[in-house]
Amino acid sequence: MEFRELLRGDRPVLLDGGMGTMLQNRGLKPGEHPELAALAHPDWLFDIHRAYVDAGAQIISTNTFGANREKLARTDKTVYEVVSASVAVARKAAGGRALVALDVGPIGQLLEPTGTLAFEQAVDIFKETIAAGVKAGVDLIFIETITDLQEARAALLAAKETCDLPVMVTMTYEARCRTFLGHSPAAAALTLEGMGADAIGVNCSLGPREMPPLAEELLKWSTLPIILKPNAGLPDPAGGGYDITPAEFAQSLAALADMGIKLFGGCCGTTPEYISLLKQELDKCRVANVHRSVPAAICSPTTVVPIDRVRVIGERINPTGKKLMKEALRRGDVDFMLGQALAQTQAGADILDVNVGLPDIDEQAMMVRTVKALQGITDAPLQLDSTAPSVLEQALRIYCGKAIVNSVNGEQAVLDRILPLVKKYGAAVVGLTLDEKGIPKSAEERLAIARRILDAALAHGIRKEDVYIDCLTLTASAEQEGAQQTVSALRMVKEQLGLKTVLGVSNISFGLPARPVVNQNFLTMAMVYGLDLPIINPNVDSMMAAVRSYHLLMNVDTDAREFIAAYADAPAAVSTPATGTRALDEIVRAGLKGEAPAATRVLLENGTDPMEIINTILVPALDAVGADFEAGRSFLPQLIQSAGAAQSSFEVLRAHMSNDKSNRSGQNTIVLATVKGDIHDIGKNIVKVLLENYGYTVIDLGKDVAPETVVQAAKEQRAALVGLSALMTTTLKAMEDTISLLRKERLSCKVMVGGAVLTEDYAKQIGADFYARDAKQGVDIARQVVLL
Amino acid sequence: MNHITLTPPDIDEALRYMGTPPEAADNSLRALVEDCAQHLLVTAQPRWTYRVFDLSFEGDGVRLDSGLLLPGHALRDHLSDCTQACVLCATLGAQVDTLIRRSECIDMTRALAIDCCASALAEQLCDKIEHRLQPLFPGCHFPYRFSPGYGDLPLEVNTPLLALLDAPRTIGLCATASHLLTPRKSVTAILGVADHPIDTHKRSCMGCPAHHGCQYRKSGGHCGIS
Repeated sequence: MEFRELLRGDRPVLLDGGMGTMLQNRGLKPGEHPELAALAHPDWLFDIHRAYVDAGAQIISTNTFGANREKLARTDKTVYEVVSASVAVARKAAGGRALVALDVGPIGQLLEPTGTLAFEQAVDIFKETIAAGVKAGVDLIFIETITDLQEARAALLAAKETCDLPVMVTMTYEARCRTFLGHSPAAAALTLEGMGADAIGVNCSLGPREMPPLAEELLKWSTLPIILKPNAGLPDPAGGGYDITPAEFAQSLAALADMGIKLFGGCCGTTPEYISLLKQELDKCRVANVHRSVPAAICSPTTVVPIDRVRVIGERINPTGKKLMKEALRRGDVDFMLGQALAQTQAGADILDVNVGLPDIDEQAMMVRTVKALQGITDAPLQLDSTAPSVLEQALRIYCGKAIVNSVNGEQAVLDRILPLVKKYGAAVVGLTLDEKGIPKSAEERLAIARRILDAALAHGIRKEDVYIDCLTLTASAEQEGAQQTVSALRMVKEQLGLKTVLGVSNISFGLPARPVVNQNFLTMAMVYGLDLPIINPNVDSMMAAVRSYHLLMNVDTDAREFIAAYADAPAAVSTPATGTRALDEIVRAGLKGEAPAATRVLLENGTDPMEIINTILVPALDAVGADFEAGRSFLPQLIQSAGAAQSSFEVLRAHMSNDKSNRSGQNTIVLATVKGDIHDIGKNIVKVLLENYGYTVIDLGKDVAPETVVQAAKEQRAALVGLSALMTTTLKAMEDTISLLRKERLSCKVMVGGAVLTEDYAKQIGADFYARDAKQGVDIARQVVLL
Repeated sequence: MNHITLTPPDIDEALRYMGTPPEAADNSLRALVEDCAQHLLVTAQPRWTYRVFDLSFEGDGVRLDSGLLLPGHALRDHLSDCTQACVLCATLGAQVDTLIRRSECIDMTRALAIDCCASALAEQLCDKIEHRLQPLFPGCHFPYRFSPGYGDLPLEVNTPLLALLDAPRTIGLCATASHLLTPRKSVTAILGVADHPIDTHKRSCMGCPAHHGCQYRKSGGHCGIS
């Protein structure tokens, strides 16, 4: 019997129960590595597996939960030795009566961004275990007890890239139906089905009675067979054991076949007795044939965005026509884009478009960095926007959740290149209604291209709900008849093909006066014609107002709650703050970030040169705050607040300055990094803000940075100064290594170091040029060694 | 029994962590820190777990009855009157890390305040755990909690300690390859249990294993913990 045959029909499928507790009952000592049981106690392991087979388990899991190279590093055994021995015992115990699944548990370290383990490293670790299991002859792969959707993705991708065996994936949740990291079952369902899992579900964490809400979510957001493998109840508050009996366990779990659950088993605390009773109960059941269809939706690990109403895609993370973003991209400054992201979600964007394409940068590397950083700070799903398939593939690999790919079009070559990626990574895709012949004039022709794109997507195994069509906005000033064709095509796509639609809106008004009015009205028109996903600047309130009004008037926004929440205190919001009443230097000294841009603009309007503002106002004001800080008259928060005020002034100035002035590179560049192994970087981030406000170009390499990366950046940027931080004593060695490598490579840069555990003496000892006691001293050092 | 309700962190303690003497903080800074503390409180998801071990003393450290050796003289001396120890770990959860990262993109002062409030809150969580654990040992006495990184107890023991407590599975607390705790606002600690009165030296700067590199001492102050 093959796994896929087991899934056919309406009979429930029985898995096995707990392994760890069974081994302990046989005599496994605390502290002993359970994964080594196949080598140390093969007879115990055989008996346990056999007991589950005798109890009726149709699939048993190998004792390889922690058989990955990271966890086995604490033993003297290799992954291959442990996996092949474990599979052999399970195979023998199964005796042809049960399938053998390779059990794959979490690596035991958190992935980025919460931890430091890189995604590709995780994929590689899983591949080693899975390859060993495949070689040893398992029937399927069972990825289980995962709390991070990104780790589940890494394991699933590793399985898919290693073998053709079926893959089951279960994650573990808390009672509030989220994993420890806040990931939701709905996001897991959408993502893992998209990436080709064969069955998904829940294991561990809770008891059978807590399963229904989780099961409901999985059934709603996936069409796959669902697995429930709970613990033997909740931990008993009186300590030791669980709170329900084997009979209760079996009854309450088997009852869920009525919901449409297909695969059943037990996790911690369950024994062959539980499984045997569960079999008796399941023998009486049939799996209910419930209708399941998953609506169009995309997600991040924490947030599912169903396309069941107008959802706004924020367009601001895109360098086209944006000087500051271009500069940020050339500097490799990801923080700029993070600020853009948060401003857009704050304004009401549901989804963020991410385009980092510039001809003179490494788009692929920048895209990967940006997607990773964005997912570290925003819950909004992303639309990955590039014309290069390699950029899209790397972005899709790293993206955790179900993304939108922007875009394909009717050109066969483009469809052939991009759609396989969309399928492999389970994304949704935007299809532009153009092809090698350009943009057709008529709505009918655009509909024909949309149909072609849909057919191609279906042929690649992409579901219809995941295809969004862009009927293309033409500039009304150039082709006035175009707008009507666009909205007509939109309606046809919607009505005749039943697809979701997307449209970049702002293009419509190019070359016209009163652009916001045109944009807002075109947006409203398009929504009436059926637009689901407008790509707009959500920071422009008239655009968000159009969306909110549409939801209000179409009775989508029940009781006008959202509308009222957005506009109830609108008069206060539109009243302009008092400007120009306070001098800029006073504003910076007082750290009044909100007032700094207006005061700066007033100065510029009066004809003051930007450099003069920097040299005669901003820098002296910061110096005064710095002097107060040193004298103990003011403290770190004031220093940062002043820096923040200066920064918002700088932003205004930068936009105003010519490129040669604002984009000086090399001589004034400072590279900052928190060293390898260390993850405490807030001190370094504070130093960065301060340095930037004195006009230095700062290349921030982030935390946990390898010595080689620091050296490479220092070389490429011709940095005058490198600043390294470390908080923990254990990572001081990495700081020393980084300095030695910089010296070995004979870079002329100076090195300053800082961090809680450092001292002046120690800094000298490890070869640093300077020790910065605090952020202010970091600035003083920079002024000593770096020319502005 | 495991659920612990946190209350707003001690604002003075957070201010000290921020490098500001509490008496020097003006109303607006205090209000900002209080606001951050509230925000943090709704974001934090405290989780913890512990196990009790019998101790045996060896030349180069203390051995738990699981077999794990906690190396070094500092902990051995610290536990010299104890026969047992609670090994505990606690975390405020990954959402706090996200909140700090997000704040850093918007307002560094808030980020610093949230980071420092989170340190104070983690300390509060540990205090509350200790209050839960002490009654389990009636008539016993307890030296202060000792964590990896104090004295010569290396951070490397974080990894086997978390494994011993099954912390990755039960509370989502892991160590990185370099043995730092993730999520970041987390603690591992050893609480000794003595069945006779002991000389409970108060924590003081000179007795503090971190006093050599302490940032508060460097700037002429102290962290406020005593």
